[in-house]
Amino acid sequence: MTLFRRVVPTLLLAMSLAGPALAQQLPPLPETVRSQGVLRAGVRCDQPPYGFRGPDGGFAGVEVDMARQMAAWAFGSADKAELACVTAENRIPQLQARRVDLLIATLGVTPDRARVIDFSDPYRWGGSDMLVKRDSPIQKLDDVRNRTVIMLRGTTQASWFDENMPGLNALRLNTASDALQALLQGRGEAYAHDAATLVVIATRDPSLRLVGKPFAVSDAAVGVRKGEPEWLAWINAALARMKAENLYMLWVERWVPNETRPFYISAFNDPRPKAR
Amino acid sequence: MEFDVPYLIRHLPALGRGLALTIQVSALAIVLSVFVGLVGASLRVMRFPVLSQAAAAYVEFIRNTPLLVQLFFVFFGLPTVGLTLSLFWSGVFALTLWAGAFQIENVRGGLASVSPGLNEAARALGLSKGQYLRFVGLPLAVRVGLPSILNTSVSLIKNSAYLSAIGLQELTGVAFDRIAIDFRAFEMLSVLLAGYLSVVLTLSAAVRAFEYRLQAPFRR
Repeated sequence: MTLFRRVVPTLLLAMSLAGPALAQQLPPLPETVRSQGVLRAGVRCDQPPYGFRGPDGGFAGVEVDMARQMAAWAFGSADKAELACVTAENRIPQLQARRVDLLIATLGVTPDRARVIDFSDPYRWGGSDMLVKRDSPIQKLDDVRNRTVIMLRGTTQASWFDENMPGLNALRLNTASDALQALLQGRGEAYAHDAATLVVIATRDPSLRLVGKPFAVSDAAVGVRKGEPEWLAWINAALARMKAENLYMLWVERWVPNETRPFYISAFNDPRPKAR
Repeated sequence: MEFDVPYLIRHLPALGRGLALTIQVSALAIVLSVFVGLVGASLRVMRFPVLSQAAAAYVEFIRNTPLLVQLFFVFFGLPTVGLTLSLFWSGVFALTLWAGAFQIENVRGGLASVSPGLNEAARALGLSKGQYLRFVGLPLAVRVGLPSILNTSVSLIKNSAYLSAIGLQELTGVAFDRIAIDFRAFEMLSVLLAGYLSVVLTLSAAVRAFEYRLQAPFRR
């Protein structure tokens, strides 16, 4: 009995020491973040499977799991992740206004963005595609030249069409659900967005199909404010550890149904393909 | 980050087109909403059965629901029942619908201030209800109601910024687009404030001049 009383606390102590010992793989958390006691991350709420509202209305998705994992490593509990919904349009202003300390929000690496924020190492790549009605005549990218294309403000696709097809009739909306609604009502003939998002919609709705000609392929990375190198180094170390521990596979399996799973696993694990 | 003037100049043409669209949509909606106001207020004051109640219900409905929801209803809701308006006309329709309710109340207030004696005199002279409204009631009501009609029109112009939410590339839409791509929020938002301010001040000055003209018979 005496032995039991002694052994159990010792074991508990050993276990609690093992936790910090593992976390020592990561560089020290910068004081600015540690003093807050929470990890304030901006995530998407309308981008399954990366960031979306789960069946219970809570945050869900691979990028949400990434944020929670970082909170667990930084503060010892996944509950220390203070998540905020950001949109394609407001995510960078939210970061700059210090409402969040990092963005894990389907953020593609572009030179324009790199001028105002810093990017971590990329954790996956993402291409763009277009969603059209099943009977649509659109077969390739150039077919949309004289048609209306729906896209979201501030997305990679909006900049891409701006540069590569100036004068295109673009309908720019704020949320993916608005865009889908507009496509279904025929307010535009194609909806250009991240292929990853469109794959899910296309498998769910048989009246729609993907054009399947990828364009504007870019890396997705975590975004932080400029001038926070220690914080960036910590995030990079955390991302490397997620990859090393193969956590992405676990999360993709959690959030992605069988039919579309290979697409996402490839996005996290394979090198980036070449495209227009 | 300081104020980048060359950046602004580069995007001035696009902002100009946005401003033109803002003015176009607002002007159309203001004219239509004043018309709605005149008709609706007449129905209310003359107590035409059914129509009067319908106008009252419309006013209550619009005044007690958010404009953004009304706008989304027009753009995303109405196509489901077979009424698909273009982007531009969805905007004009939603703004007219919203401002019309307030204009009804503005004109009704004006009509209430017209001395009942004038109505009685008009009836004694054999003028119909319609003739009384056209020649006596409404001209006087508009004179009295002009400040509140202007007020609603100013709100309408400011609320036209909501139309960017359905993708109309009016002033706010153009500026938000640029912010989303270039992140120069300070420059773009400054232009937005200056743009709306100049449109609204111009309208106010025009209405003041009109008011001055309307008051001519009463000036010494």
